[in-house]
Amino acid sequence: MKTLSFEGSTREYFKIWIVNVLLVIVTLGLYYPWAKVRNHRYFYANTTFDDRNFEYHATGKQLFIGYLIAMGLFIAYMVMQNISPIGSLVLFGVFVIAFPWIIWRSLKFNLLMTSFSNVRFSFAGKIGNAYLNYLLLPIAFFGVLYGVPILSAIVLTKVDIEFTGLTRSLAVLGGFLVVVLAFYLFAYMKKRNTCYAVNGFRYGQGEFKTSVEVGGFAKILLKTMVIGIGVMVLLLIVISIGSAVTMGTAAFTSAFDNLENPEAWMDRSVIVVIALLYIAMIAASFLIMAYSYARQRRYIFKNSRLDHNIAFNSTLGARTTAWVMVSNFVAILLSLGLAFPWAKVRMARLVLGHTFIDSDVEFDQYISQAQGDQSPIADQIGDAFDVDVGVGI
Amino acid sequence: MIIHGQWYGEGSAARFRATLQCSNDQFCVETENGNSFAGNLEELTVSERLGNVERKITLQDGSIFATSENDQIDQLFHKQKSIHSIIHAFEAHAGLAAISVVATVVFIFVFIKWGVPWVSSTIAHAMPYKVQQVVGEGSLKFFDEYVFDDSNLDAELQSQIRSRFRSELLPLEEAHVELNYRLHFRNWSVDDTEIPNAFALPSGDIIVTDKFIELAAHQNEIDAVLLHEMGHVAHRHGLEMIIEGALISTAVMLASGDSTGFIDLGLGVGSMLVSSNYSRRHEVDADDYAFRKMLVAKIDPTVLSDVLQRMSGYMEEARSDDESGKAEKDDSDLMDYLSSHPNTDLRAKQARLYSECFREGQIYCDLKLKF
Repeated sequence: MKTLSFEGSTREYFKIWIVNVLLVIVTLGLYYPWAKVRNHRYFYANTTFDDRNFEYHATGKQLFIGYLIAMGLFIAYMVMQNISPIGSLVLFGVFVIAFPWIIWRSLKFNLLMTSFSNVRFSFAGKIGNAYLNYLLLPIAFFGVLYGVPILSAIVLTKVDIEFTGLTRSLAVLGGFLVVVLAFYLFAYMKKRNTCYAVNGFRYGQGEFKTSVEVGGFAKILLKTMVIGIGVMVLLLIVISIGSAVTMGTAAFTSAFDNLENPEAWMDRSVIVVIALLYIAMIAASFLIMAYSYARQRRYIFKNSRLDHNIAFNSTLGARTTAWVMVSNFVAILLSLGLAFPWAKVRMARLVLGHTFIDSDVEFDQYISQAQGDQSPIADQIGDAFDVDVGVGI
Repeated sequence: MIIHGQWYGEGSAARFRATLQCSNDQFCVETENGNSFAGNLEELTVSERLGNVERKITLQDGSIFATSENDQIDQLFHKQKSIHSIIHAFEAHAGLAAISVVATVVFIFVFIKWGVPWVSSTIAHAMPYKVQQVVGEGSLKFFDEYVFDDSNLDAELQSQIRSRFRSELLPLEEAHVELNYRLHFRNWSVDDTEIPNAFALPSGDIIVTDKFIELAAHQNEIDAVLLHEMGHVAHRHGLEMIIEGALISTAVMLASGDSTGFIDLGLGVGSMLVSSNYSRRHEVDADDYAFRKMLVAKIDPTVLSDVLQRMSGYMEEARSDDESGKAEKDDSDLMDYLSSHPNTDLRAKQARLYSECFREGQIYCDLKLKF
């Protein structure tokens, strides 16, 4: 078992990054595809295992047309939001329907543009499965979570039922069942999504295979929820005690009454409390995010293989991840963004240093397979609308 | 010159130690497993320099010679210079990188401070009047459906205000004759609190609420507010705001392009501050418009701030009566007339200067002389 490592340096990346930013601004955004390629190339090429490295092959020229189309769509969407609520709803609907296609095409494009030790990756997942995974399953999940309670509320107001002991406990039971079903559906969706992505990955002629189960995701999700609720309760207690002690409850309650009133905002103590609350909320969300990310990553890596004889592992811990995320965020804020390269390199080092590959065979046997050309348009649209495709090396 | 590296067959992961030797324009690659390649340097393609990332040189048959000897490679291929070598020169040089930092900050500042408002205003004014109409059209219907009730003012008062609007105020607006101003009276109440407000849609529809008419002490105050709203329409602030919003969110999207989720949060707060700054500028512009017209119409500019203060005073009272504080939360974005009308120093100063002109009996006020 050996870990991946990141060979780049903060110093070097900082210069690449700042030149990218400058050129993007000076060209009013037109340089963005080239900047993206330089960023990706830097991180891929510096990711090494056993003296072999990754490589990102897309070129700025190749991404440019897709980028212009995506930009046009994005601006149209922004403008539509302002002038016509119905129009933007329609556009949003179109986007939802196109979403699985965007993910599918992005996966195909991005994997094909990635190589390790001179051998290209590819994606063999089918479009139909993408629709099952990224449209039908989410609809089923939200349908159960929101649709069932709303429907039953409507029915209950229409039909006049006396709330006696029996009907009340039936309603509670029903509510409980809905929550359990929604939870199960969510874990099921996670499992299906993971299988769709991982089982579709190819490395040359090699095939990835994952054996993740619904139960594994359910456990992680349950723990994430418990931690989330626990942290929120703890936060509320600490903050209300803290504020009661430091300034008396009167000032605290008035802070919320006067949210709309700018003059009251000038009360410094009120600002401090609200800022603290804000920071604490962010820290808490980082903790929850880090936990869910690190644990899911560990679970998926442990249960995935390449061709039976190459295994993976992740020892990324939730606490370390949370700490790096929070401190990165603070550093970026305090430096007004200038610490971004440092933060990104730090995160890459952490993640790669905790990623293991166990192979008793050499990679030498792998050979790139011929693939048709892949258009980058979907990748760029996904980029513009912040779709996280997460090829995740 | 001998460069050491690794050789990969086309599309193969197997690697072999190899050397690249050159003399003049000729190269020769020898691999550990006994392959050798020779030819002219121009037959090779080399990946662009990026930091100290390993370079991939593609040989004639598609096989790859990879090496980290970046400087030697650059020397060898100095003839194949591209735009990327210039970018690399920037990246490699600490001083140039520092200049880039400064230049970036300056560019961002200029972009936000002057670039966005200038571009938005240029585009907004270049658009045909029809666009304004389309933008405003749906809004009034929407507000009528969900927000407003019919006015309770008696018909005589309405027609009196309307005819004064037509005969006294509209003639002041000679530059924008194509604009089709219409005055609408509506009642707007939230949780039994009547809201005093006036606002303009890009189409030229100006809506005033019953409570505002009630709070206005005299006709001049109504005129002042109507002129302020006409200012928004004449300056095409509605369109400008849409364009500004699109520009800022595009910029934010680019900036957060490869960031991790929560950076967006900071960017979100930043862009909120920027757009509230823009909307404050719009208020100053609309004030300025109103003040200039008020001088012509012989109305004291101070009446505008009088009536605005009375309106916000009324709302504050209503708020403290209504302990839950819900009322103003629900309609905070519709309440932008009041909430984005903070009495900034600039606005107060502007009002004072115009008022001086008024007292001197002028109908034109050159602010530059006064500032």
